[in-house]
Amino acid sequence: MTLPAADLAVHGESSSAPPTEAARKSIAGRSPTRIAFDRLRKDPIAVICFVIVLFFAAIAIFAPWVQSLFGVSTDTVLASTRIDLVTRLPKIGPPNHGFTMDHPFGVAPGSGTDNLAVWIEGCRTSLFLATVATVLSTFIGVTLGLVAGFVGGAVDAVISFFTDLFLSFPFLLGALAVAPIISERYGTDIDKLRVVSFYSLVFILVIFGWMGVARLVRGEVLSLREREFVKAARVIGVPTSRILVREILPNLLAPIVVSVSLSLPGYVAAEAGLSYLGIGVFGRESWGQTVNGATSYWEIYPLFLLEPVIGIAVLVVALNLLGDAIRDAFDPKTRR
Amino acid sequence: MNRKKALVAGVSAATLALTLAACGGGDDDKSSKDKFNETLQSGGKNPDAVGPAPQPEGAQTGGEITILAPDPDDGPTSLDPAGLWSVTDNAIAQDLLFRSLTTWQQNPETGEYTLVPDLATDLGTPNEDFTEWTFTLKDGIKWETGDPVTAEEVKFGMERSFDAETFATGPGAAYSKPYFEGGDTYNGPYAKGAEDFPAISVDGNTLTLKMSTPFAEMDYYGIFPAMGPVPLDAPAADYGLKPLSTGPYKIEKYVPNQELVLVPNDQWDPATDPARNQFPDKYTFEFGGDNAVADKTALSDSGSTTISTAMLSNDYTKAIEDGLQDQVLVGPQPCTSFVMPNYDKVKELEVRQALAFAYAYEDIWSAGGYLPGVTRANGVTDPELGFGLLPPGMAGRIPWNPEIDGETIQYDPEHAKELLAKAGYEPGEYEVSFVYDATSQEGKDAAKQRELGYEESGFSVKAYPYTAGSLYDVWTDPDNALYKKINLLGTAWCQDWPSAATFVPPILETGQPYNTGNFSEESIDAEMDRIRTLPVDEQADAWGALENKVMTEFQPVINAGFYQGTYAIGSDIGGFANDTTVGGAPDYRTIFVK
Repeated sequence: MTLPAADLAVHGESSSAPPTEAARKSIAGRSPTRIAFDRLRKDPIAVICFVIVLFFAAIAIFAPWVQSLFGVSTDTVLASTRIDLVTRLPKIGPPNHGFTMDHPFGVAPGSGTDNLAVWIEGCRTSLFLATVATVLSTFIGVTLGLVAGFVGGAVDAVISFFTDLFLSFPFLLGALAVAPIISERYGTDIDKLRVVSFYSLVFILVIFGWMGVARLVRGEVLSLREREFVKAARVIGVPTSRILVREILPNLLAPIVVSVSLSLPGYVAAEAGLSYLGIGVFGRESWGQTVNGATSYWEIYPLFLLEPVIGIAVLVVALNLLGDAIRDAFDPKTRR
Repeated sequence: MNRKKALVAGVSAATLALTLAACGGGDDDKSSKDKFNETLQSGGKNPDAVGPAPQPEGAQTGGEITILAPDPDDGPTSLDPAGLWSVTDNAIAQDLLFRSLTTWQQNPETGEYTLVPDLATDLGTPNEDFTEWTFTLKDGIKWETGDPVTAEEVKFGMERSFDAETFATGPGAAYSKPYFEGGDTYNGPYAKGAEDFPAISVDGNTLTLKMSTPFAEMDYYGIFPAMGPVPLDAPAADYGLKPLSTGPYKIEKYVPNQELVLVPNDQWDPATDPARNQFPDKYTFEFGGDNAVADKTALSDSGSTTISTAMLSNDYTKAIEDGLQDQVLVGPQPCTSFVMPNYDKVKELEVRQALAFAYAYEDIWSAGGYLPGVTRANGVTDPELGFGLLPPGMAGRIPWNPEIDGETIQYDPEHAKELLAKAGYEPGEYEVSFVYDATSQEGKDAAKQRELGYEESGFSVKAYPYTAGSLYDVWTDPDNALYKKINLLGTAWCQDWPSAATFVPPILETGQPYNTGNFSEESIDAEMDRIRTLPVDEQADAWGALENKVMTEFQPVINAGFYQGTYAIGSDIGGFANDTTVGGAPDYRTIFVK
C-alpha cells in the first residue's frame, strides 16, 4: 500500500510503507513459480497465445467429435462424386463454387477428400507427435544433465562427449537415412508400419533433440551442487538420488518449463518439414504432407495450400510467443 | 520400350486439363477422343525415299532451342548407341545424332510417319522366310570428323548390341540376341575370346544379316542407333560419353543426366538423309530440372525458344485459363498401363474379370493426377478404345470391348460381386493386395481410390506403400519381400515401333521380364511362335486376333489406361510435332525457330 503522493514529499524517504502483516505473509508465501504464473496471467500476449494453443489442443484431443460435429470424415470417397473429372477440381465448394457447410474447408482436388477432416487429423498428428517427442526428449535431457552435472568426473566427461557428438550430427541427414530403412523393414506389414513410422519419427526427433536440455540442466546443476542446502543435505547423509530429485530438481523447474515451451513448436515445425520431404508419418494425415501435395495447386486452388500453412503458422507462432512469455515470466531480471 | 520413369513418377508426367485443352496444339479442333483414335496412322514404308527431308511450312535455319526434360526424366546416362532404349534418349539420338539402317520420316502436312531408308539405300531385302536380310549402304556418309562411314563400322556397331552385359539397357537382348544366328551365344566384340560374328557379313558396301528365327521386322529394328555404325576403336565403357555423330548435329557438351548441348555437324549431307533437318544453330537439353520452373520458362517471354516435355497438370490448367492454348500440346504416347494379376495366385478367370469391373478407372486417374479422357483413356471414356493390350492406331488392332456376362467393362462393383460369386467367393472373402508408390500425395490418393473400388466390389484389400524406389523393383523381383505378399502387379509398356510384335510378346509370353503377372499358357506361346513365321502382311492381323483371344479367354491383364503426354512450347517454336514412333517425345527432325 502506498502513501498518497502528497505525503511522499513530507517524509522524503521510503517510497513504500512497511507492509502490513497480511501483505508480508502473502508475499512470503509465493514461490518463484507462483510469481511467474501471476506475471504470465497479466501478460496479454501470453494469455492470447495460451487460448490459441488450448484451442488447437482441444481440436486435437476431441478430433473425432469435432469431425462428426461438422459431419466430415477422412474416409475415401469415389473421386467422381465430388470431383469434376474434366478439370480435376471440386464440383462443390471452393475454388469455383460457393461455400458449403458440408465441407467448410472445401475438398481436395483430384481425390475429393474433405479438407477440414484432413486438417483436424493433421492437427492431431502434429500436436500428439510434438508432445510425445517433447516429453521424451525433456526426460532424457534432464536425467542426463542431472547425472552429468552432479556426479561429475568421468561420467560428466562421457555424457558431455555424447552431447557434443549428437549436436554435431546433422539432423536431416539422420532422418533421411533412417526413414527408408524403417519402411523397408516393416513395409510388408501395414498396421505395424503405421505405428512404427510414427514412433520412428518420434525417435528421430528425440535422439536429435535432448542435447539442449541436457546442457542447460548440467550447467544449472554445476552451480546448484555447490550451494549450502545441497552441501548440508550431503553432510547429513541424504542419498544422492534423493538430493537430485528433492533438492536440485525443484530448482530447475524454471529452465525446464522454458525449454519445453520452446521445443514444442520446434517439433511441430520439424514434423511438417519432414513430412514435406516425404519422410514423415505414414498412414496418418499430416499438415506437412498436405502442404507437399498442395504446392502445385497454389495458382488454381490457393485455399487448398493455405489451410495447412495457416494451421502450422498460427500454432507455431502461438507456441513460440507463449514460450517466450514463460521465459520472461520465470526470469527475475526481465521487467515488462 | 518400357515407360519406367513415367510410371513411377506418375504424377510428374501427369496432366490436368480442361475440355478445351484437348484441342491444344492450335492447328486442329479435334476432341480428345478423336486424338486418341487417330494416334498412329504410322507404320507405312517407303523404300524409295531420298534426301533431302521434307521441310515443314515456314521452316528456317538459325536460332537456338532449349529443351527442358524435367524431373523425373533424368535423360541419358550414356549416349552409347548400343545402350539406347528409352523414349527421351532415343528421340534425341535417332533424330539428331546417330544414323542407322532405317529411320522414320515425318510427313509435315499430315503428321504421318513412314519408314524410310537411312544409311541403307532401301529398306533391306529379305529372303523368302525372313532369315536373311541384305542392306546396301549409301556412299558419302561421313562421321563428324570427316572420315567416311564404312560397312565394317556398321557391322561393329551391330555386333556391340549383342553385349547385353555392357549395354544392359539396350534393345540387343530383346531383338539382336534372339533373332540373329548364333546371337544367343555371341556376347559382342568385347567379350573374352570374341571371334568374328558370321551372322553379319560384309561385302564391299553390302551387309548380309543371317537370322536363326524368321525376323520380318528387321527393317523396323533398323531404326535403333544400335543398328548403326560405331568407330572400330571405340572403347566398351566410355564411348557413350563422347560418341561420334553421323547425324545433323554433334555433341558440344554432355554431362550425363544433366545437360546435352548439340551444334550443327557440317559433315552431315542433307542429300543423303530423307528424314532429318538441320534448322537451329544449337540445341540445349536440360534434364531432371524442376517441373514448375520448366513449364513457366517455356510459357514466358524469355523462354520463347524453349520446350518443356512434361507439363505439370496444374500448370497446364493455368495455361489454358490464361488463353495459351497455342503453346500447349497434348500428344499421344503409344503406351498402355496394366494391372497384372499374378497368374499363379489369381487362378480363376472370373476373379480376373471381376477385377476389371472393380477398378475405378476415372476416379483412380483423377486422384493420381491424370485427366480422364485426355492424358489417360480407355473404353471407359470412349467405348471405341476398348480395354485391350495394344494402344490405339497400331496395325492389326481390334478394339477389345467385350460383354462379360452381359455387361461391358466399366467400374461396376455390383457386376464384380456377381462374377466373384460365380467363382465361388462371398463378398470380403477374396483378398487382393498390391503395392503403390507412396512417395507422392497423388500416388497415395490413387491407391486409396483403388482400394475403395476393390472393397466396394467385394474384395478385401491390402495395399502396401513403397517408397524405396521404382515399383518395378518389386514387380520384377520374385525375391522381394513385398513381391511375395502381393497378387496384383503391373507394367506400363510402350511400343518399340508400330507393330504388335513389340507389344504382345513382352506382356504375354512366358518368362518375359515385364510379364510381371507371370502369365503363361503353352497354347498362347505356341501361337506366338507360329505368328512369327507367318508372311509379314498377315502378321499384324494375327497379332490383333491373338490379343483379342487371350483377353477374352484369359483376361491376363486389366487395362489401366492408354497414355497421352503434354508439352509446353515456346511462342517462337515452329514445326513442333509429337513423335509417336519413338513413344511420345518432341520430333526434333522438324522443329525450327520462327
